[in-house]
Amino acid sequence: MHKSILLIVLVVCASLLGACAQFESKRGVEVNWQDTVTNELVNGTSTRKDVLALLGPPSQIIALGDETALYYLFEHSEGEGLVLIVYNRMQINTRYDRAIFFFDENDTLSEFATRVYGADES
Amino acid sequence: MKASFITLLYLLLSHSLLTGCSQWRYDLGVPISGNNLPAQRTSLNEVLQSLGPPLRMSASHTGFIMAWEHWDIRENSLGITLGALGADFFSADWGEMRIKGEFLLVTFDHKHLVTSATHSDWDNDGGGGQAIQPFFSFVSVVDVEDLIDAMPQHDWGSLLLQADLPSALNSGSSSDTGQQGLQQRATPKAVGQQSLEMD
Repeated sequence: MHKSILLIVLVVCASLLGACAQFESKRGVEVNWQDTVTNELVNGTSTRKDVLALLGPPSQIIALGDETALYYLFEHSEGEGLVLIVYNRMQINTRYDRAIFFFDENDTLSEFATRVYGADES
Repeated sequence: MKASFITLLYLLLSHSLLTGCSQWRYDLGVPISGNNLPAQRTSLNEVLQSLGPPLRMSASHTGFIMAWEHWDIRENSLGITLGALGADFFSADWGEMRIKGEFLLVTFDHKHLVTSATHSDWDNDGGGGQAIQPFFSFVSVVDVEDLIDAMPQHDWGSLLLQADLPSALNSGSSSDTGQQGLQQRATPKAVGQQSLEMD
Protein backbone atom coordinates (compact mmCIF):
# COMPACT_ATOMS: atom_id res chain seq x y z
CA MET A 1 0.00 0.00 0.00
CA HIS A 2 2.75 2.39 1.04
CA LYS A 3 4.72 1.55 -2.10
CA SER A 4 1.75 2.36 -4.32
CA ILE A 5 1.22 5.72 -2.64
CA LEU A 6 4.91 6.45 -2.95
CA LEU A 7 4.80 5.60 -6.65
CA ILE A 8 1.77 7.83 -7.19
CA VAL A 9 3.52 10.68 -5.39
CA LEU A 10 6.60 10.13 -7.53
CA VAL A 11 4.58 10.16 -10.75
CA VAL A 12 2.79 13.36 -9.72
CA CYS A 13 6.10 14.96 -8.75
CA ALA A 14 7.63 13.89 -12.05
CA SER A 15 4.82 15.58 -13.93
CA LEU A 16 5.11 18.77 -11.90
CA LEU A 17 8.87 18.99 -11.70
CA GLY A 18 9.45 18.57 -15.39
CA ALA A 19 11.72 21.36 -16.42
CA CYS A 20 11.85 25.02 -16.95
CA ALA A 21 13.55 26.89 -19.72
CA GLN A 22 14.88 30.35 -20.23
CA PHE A 23 16.55 31.72 -23.30
CA GLU A 24 17.28 34.91 -25.13
CA SER A 25 18.17 35.91 -28.64
CA LYS A 26 19.91 39.08 -29.73
CA ARG A 27 20.26 40.32 -33.27
CA GLY A 28 21.34 43.52 -34.88
CA VAL A 29 23.56 46.43 -34.08
CA GLU A 30 24.89 46.87 -30.58
CA VAL A 31 22.93 49.59 -28.81
CA ASN A 32 25.07 52.72 -28.60
CA TRP A 33 22.27 55.23 -28.93
CA GLN A 34 21.48 55.89 -25.30
CA ASP A 35 20.54 59.50 -24.49
CA THR A 36 23.95 60.08 -22.94
CA VAL A 37 25.50 59.41 -26.35
CA THR A 38 22.99 61.11 -28.62
CA ASN A 39 22.99 64.25 -26.45
CA GLU A 40 26.19 65.09 -28.30
CA LEU A 41 24.28 65.33 -31.57
CA VAL A 42 22.68 68.58 -32.69
CA ASN A 43 20.26 68.97 -35.57
CA GLY A 44 21.63 71.29 -38.22
CA THR A 45 25.20 70.98 -36.98
CA SER A 46 26.22 67.34 -36.58
CA THR A 47 27.16 65.42 -39.69
CA ARG A 48 26.80 61.88 -40.90
CA LYS A 49 30.45 61.37 -40.08
CA ASP A 50 29.73 62.29 -36.43
CA VAL A 51 26.87 59.82 -36.21
CA LEU A 52 28.87 57.02 -37.80
CA ALA A 53 31.79 57.73 -35.48
CA LEU A 54 29.48 57.47 -32.45
CA LEU A 55 27.32 54.54 -33.47
CA GLY A 56 29.22 52.61 -36.13
CA PRO A 57 27.68 51.04 -39.24
CA PRO A 58 23.86 51.04 -39.29
CA SER A 59 21.47 48.21 -39.98
CA GLN A 60 20.13 49.97 -43.02
CA ILE A 61 20.89 53.03 -45.14
CA ILE A 62 17.85 54.40 -46.89
CA ALA A 63 18.20 56.72 -49.88
CA LEU A 64 15.50 59.38 -49.94
CA GLY A 65 16.32 61.40 -53.05
CA ASP A 66 18.88 63.99 -51.97
CA GLU A 67 18.57 62.88 -48.36
CA THR A 68 19.67 59.74 -46.60
CA ALA A 69 18.54 58.02 -43.43
CA LEU A 70 20.60 55.75 -41.21
CA TYR A 71 18.52 53.15 -39.38
CA TYR A 72 19.84 51.17 -36.40
CA LEU A 73 18.01 48.13 -35.04
CA PHE A 74 18.70 45.77 -32.18
CA GLU A 75 16.20 42.93 -31.76
CA HIS A 76 16.09 41.28 -28.35
CA SER A 77 13.90 38.26 -27.55
CA GLU A 78 13.50 36.72 -24.12
CA GLY A 79 11.72 33.44 -23.58
CA GLU A 80 10.58 31.68 -20.46
CA GLY A 81 9.03 28.27 -20.40
CA LEU A 82 7.51 25.69 -18.17
CA VAL A 83 8.03 22.18 -19.51
CA LEU A 84 5.95 19.63 -17.64
CA ILE A 85 5.09 16.19 -18.85
CA VAL A 86 1.46 16.94 -19.55
CA TYR A 87 1.59 20.68 -20.09
CA ASN A 88 4.14 23.04 -21.62
CA ARG A 89 4.01 26.80 -21.78
CA MET A 90 6.43 29.21 -23.46
CA GLN A 91 6.29 32.97 -23.39
CA ILE A 92 8.54 34.91 -25.77
CA ASN A 93 8.79 38.68 -25.64
CA THR A 94 10.57 40.56 -28.39
CA ARG A 95 11.57 44.20 -28.14
CA TYR A 96 13.14 46.42 -30.78
CA ASP A 97 15.66 49.05 -29.75
CA ARG A 98 16.07 51.43 -32.66
CA ALA A 99 17.36 54.75 -33.83
CA ILE A 100 16.91 56.75 -37.00
CA PHE A 101 18.91 59.70 -38.31
CA PHE A 102 18.04 61.89 -41.30
CA PHE A 103 20.65 63.81 -43.25
CA ASP A 104 20.17 66.51 -45.86
CA GLU A 105 22.00 66.77 -49.17
CA ASN A 106 25.03 68.23 -47.34
CA ASP A 107 25.22 65.24 -44.98
CA THR A 108 24.08 67.42 -42.08
CA LEU A 109 21.82 65.87 -39.45
CA SER A 110 18.30 67.22 -39.88
CA GLU A 111 16.27 65.01 -37.53
CA PHE A 112 16.71 61.97 -35.37
CA ALA A 113 14.91 59.81 -32.82
CA THR A 114 15.90 56.89 -30.61
CA ARG A 115 14.14 54.31 -28.47
CA VAL A 116 15.78 51.92 -26.02
CA TYR A 117 13.83 49.48 -23.85
CA GLY A 118 15.12 48.48 -20.43
CA ALA A 119 15.32 44.86 -19.38
CA ASP A 120 11.93 44.90 -17.64
CA GLU A 121 10.28 47.59 -19.69
CA SER A 122 7.35 46.66 -21.92
CA MET B 1 -4.44 -2.02 -2.90
CA LYS B 2 -6.16 -2.91 -6.14
CA ALA B 3 -7.71 0.55 -6.49
CA SER B 4 -4.36 2.24 -5.93
CA PHE B 5 -2.70 0.01 -8.48
CA ILE B 6 -5.37 0.84 -11.06
CA THR B 7 -4.98 4.57 -10.28
CA LEU B 8 -1.25 4.27 -10.73
CA LEU B 9 -1.67 2.52 -14.05
CA TYR B 10 -4.15 5.16 -15.15
CA LEU B 11 -1.74 7.94 -14.23
CA LEU B 12 1.16 6.30 -16.03
CA LEU B 13 -0.95 5.77 -19.14
CA SER B 14 -2.16 9.38 -19.08
CA HIS B 15 1.38 10.66 -18.80
CA SER B 16 2.50 8.48 -21.65
CA LEU B 17 -0.29 9.66 -23.94
CA LEU B 18 -0.54 13.37 -23.15
CA THR B 19 2.97 14.32 -24.05
CA GLY B 20 2.29 17.41 -26.09
CA CYS B 21 -0.18 19.81 -24.54
CA SER B 22 1.53 23.14 -25.11
CA GLN B 23 0.91 26.85 -25.26
CA TRP B 24 3.18 29.35 -27.01
CA ARG B 25 2.88 33.09 -26.54
CA TYR B 26 4.73 35.58 -28.72
CA ASP B 27 4.71 39.28 -27.95
CA LEU B 28 6.46 41.27 -30.69
CA GLY B 29 7.04 44.93 -30.00
CA VAL B 30 5.00 47.11 -27.70
CA PRO B 31 1.46 48.46 -28.10
CA ILE B 32 1.35 51.61 -30.19
CA SER B 33 0.86 54.50 -27.83
CA GLY B 34 -2.54 56.09 -28.26
CA ASN B 35 -4.89 55.89 -31.16
CA ASN B 36 -4.42 59.49 -32.19
CA LEU B 37 -3.39 59.44 -35.80
CA PRO B 38 -0.93 62.15 -36.80
CA ALA B 39 -2.86 64.88 -38.60
CA GLN B 40 -1.97 65.94 -42.10
CA ARG B 41 0.95 68.37 -42.25
CA THR B 42 2.29 67.19 -38.87
CA SER B 43 6.07 67.39 -38.93
CA LEU B 44 8.30 64.34 -38.96
CA ASN B 45 9.94 65.54 -35.77
CA GLU B 46 6.63 65.55 -33.88
CA VAL B 47 5.77 62.07 -35.12
CA LEU B 48 9.17 60.69 -34.13
CA GLN B 49 8.97 62.26 -30.68
CA SER B 50 5.51 60.79 -30.18
CA LEU B 51 6.00 57.29 -31.60
CA GLY B 52 9.76 56.80 -31.64
CA PRO B 53 11.66 55.49 -34.63
CA PRO B 54 9.53 53.36 -36.95
CA LEU B 55 9.84 49.59 -37.13
CA ARG B 56 9.58 49.62 -40.90
CA MET B 57 10.53 52.30 -43.35
CA SER B 58 10.88 52.78 -47.06
CA ALA B 59 11.51 55.50 -49.60
CA SER B 60 8.70 56.33 -52.00
CA HIS B 61 8.45 58.51 -55.08
CA THR B 62 6.61 61.20 -53.16
CA GLY B 63 8.70 61.04 -49.96
CA PHE B 64 8.85 58.14 -47.57
CA ILE B 65 6.71 55.70 -45.59
CA MET B 66 6.97 54.66 -41.94
CA ALA B 67 5.19 51.90 -40.07
CA TRP B 68 4.88 50.85 -36.43
CA GLU B 69 3.49 47.46 -35.38
CA HIS B 70 2.68 45.28 -32.40
CA TRP B 71 1.80 41.58 -32.53
CA ASP B 72 0.45 39.25 -29.87
CA ILE B 73 0.33 35.64 -31.11
CA ARG B 74 -1.16 32.79 -29.10
CA GLU B 75 -0.69 29.20 -30.16
CA ASN B 76 -2.36 26.30 -28.37
CA SER B 77 -1.82 22.69 -29.29
CA LEU B 78 -2.57 19.28 -27.93
CA GLY B 79 -0.78 16.19 -29.12
CA ILE B 80 -1.19 12.57 -28.24
CA THR B 81 1.46 10.08 -29.23
CA LEU B 82 2.34 6.54 -28.36
CA GLY B 83 6.01 7.37 -28.63
CA ALA B 84 6.56 7.20 -24.89
CA LEU B 85 5.28 3.64 -24.91
CA GLY B 86 7.91 2.67 -27.45
CA ALA B 87 5.55 2.68 -30.40
CA ASP B 88 6.54 5.71 -32.44
CA PHE B 89 4.03 5.17 -35.21
CA PHE B 90 0.93 7.06 -34.19
CA SER B 91 0.17 10.64 -33.30
CA ALA B 92 -2.99 12.73 -33.04
CA ASP B 93 -2.67 16.49 -32.93
CA TRP B 94 -4.95 19.48 -32.54
CA GLY B 95 -3.94 23.10 -32.67
CA GLU B 96 -5.24 26.63 -32.95
CA MET B 97 -3.81 30.12 -33.16
CA ARG B 98 -5.08 33.55 -32.18
CA ILE B 99 -3.53 36.72 -33.58
CA LYS B 100 -3.90 40.20 -32.13
CA GLY B 101 -2.09 43.11 -33.64
CA GLU B 102 -1.82 46.77 -34.46
CA PHE B 103 -0.31 48.49 -37.49
CA LEU B 104 0.16 52.20 -38.00
CA LEU B 105 1.22 53.46 -41.41
CA VAL B 106 2.22 57.09 -42.00
CA THR B 107 3.38 58.61 -45.26
CA PHE B 108 5.48 61.77 -45.55
CA ASP B 109 6.32 64.10 -48.39
CA HIS B 110 9.79 65.38 -49.25
CA LYS B 111 9.30 68.28 -46.83
CA HIS B 112 8.97 65.83 -43.92
CA LEU B 113 5.27 66.55 -43.44
CA VAL B 114 2.58 63.90 -42.95
CA THR B 115 0.48 63.35 -46.04
CA SER B 116 -1.62 60.46 -44.71
CA ALA B 117 -1.95 58.14 -41.74
CA THR B 118 -3.92 55.00 -41.13
CA HIS B 119 -4.20 52.63 -38.19
CA SER B 120 -5.65 49.15 -37.94
CA ASP B 121 -5.99 46.64 -35.15
CA TRP B 122 -7.27 43.10 -35.25
CA ASP B 123 -8.02 40.11 -33.07
CA ASN B 124 -8.48 37.15 -35.37
CA ASP B 125 -8.51 33.41 -35.49
CA GLY B 126 -5.18 32.61 -37.12
CA GLY B 127 -6.12 29.10 -38.19
CA GLY B 128 -5.41 25.67 -36.86
CA GLY B 129 -6.20 22.08 -37.53
CA GLN B 130 -6.33 18.47 -36.49
CA ALA B 131 -4.30 15.55 -37.69
CA ILE B 132 -4.06 11.83 -37.14
CA GLN B 133 -0.78 10.62 -38.54
CA PRO B 134 -0.26 6.87 -38.37
CA PHE B 135 3.41 6.45 -39.25
CA PHE B 136 5.32 9.73 -39.35
CA SER B 137 4.37 13.24 -38.32
CA PHE B 138 4.59 15.17 -41.60
CA VAL B 139 2.16 17.97 -40.95
CA SER B 140 2.31 20.74 -38.37
CA VAL B 141 -1.26 21.77 -37.61
CA VAL B 142 -0.30 25.30 -36.53
CA ASP B 143 2.31 27.33 -38.36
CA VAL B 144 3.46 30.68 -36.97
CA GLU B 145 6.87 30.88 -38.66
CA ASP B 146 6.01 33.66 -41.08
CA LEU B 147 4.55 35.75 -38.25
CA ILE B 148 7.59 35.68 -36.00
CA ASP B 149 10.28 36.33 -38.61
CA ALA B 150 13.16 38.64 -37.74
CA MET B 151 12.93 42.17 -39.08
CA PRO B 152 14.15 42.65 -42.69
CA GLN B 153 16.72 45.25 -41.61
CA HIS B 154 18.97 42.40 -40.47
CA ASP B 155 19.37 41.39 -44.10
CA TRP B 156 20.89 44.72 -44.97
CA GLY B 157 23.31 44.34 -47.84
CA SER B 158 22.90 40.62 -48.24
CA LEU B 159 20.14 41.08 -50.80
CA LEU B 160 22.68 42.67 -53.12
CA LEU B 161 25.13 39.85 -52.66
CA GLN B 162 23.01 36.90 -53.66
CA ALA B 163 25.06 34.57 -55.77
CA ASP B 164 22.54 33.15 -58.19
CA LEU B 165 21.44 35.51 -60.91
CA PRO B 166 17.62 35.18 -60.84
CA SER B 167 17.50 35.91 -57.08
CA ALA B 168 19.95 38.80 -57.41
CA LEU B 169 17.67 40.42 -59.95
CA ASN B 170 14.89 40.54 -57.35
CA SER B 171 16.74 42.94 -55.07
CA GLY B 172 15.84 45.93 -57.25
CA SER B 173 12.19 45.57 -56.32
CA SER B 174 12.43 43.85 -52.97
CA SER B 175 10.28 45.26 -50.18
CA ASP B 176 13.00 44.36 -47.69
CA THR B 177 15.54 46.89 -48.93
CA GLY B 178 13.82 50.02 -47.65
CA GLN B 179 13.76 51.51 -51.13
CA GLN B 180 10.75 49.90 -52.76
CA GLY B 181 7.91 49.99 -50.26
CA LEU B 182 7.17 47.83 -47.25
CA GLN B 183 4.78 45.12 -46.26
CA GLN B 184 3.33 43.63 -43.11
CA ARG B 185 4.37 40.34 -41.63
CA ALA B 186 2.82 37.24 -43.17
CA THR B 187 1.84 38.91 -46.42
CA PRO B 188 1.22 36.04 -48.85
CA LYS B 189 3.96 35.49 -51.42
CA ALA B 190 1.54 35.85 -54.30
CA VAL B 191 0.64 39.44 -53.43
CA GLY B 192 2.27 42.66 -54.61
CA GLN B 193 5.66 43.17 -56.17
CA GLN B 194 7.12 40.05 -54.57
CA SER B 195 4.81 37.99 -56.79
CA LEU B 196 7.17 38.97 -59.63
CA GLU B 197 10.26 37.60 -57.87
CA MET B 198 12.24 34.94 -59.66
CA ASP B 199 13.59 31.87 -57.86
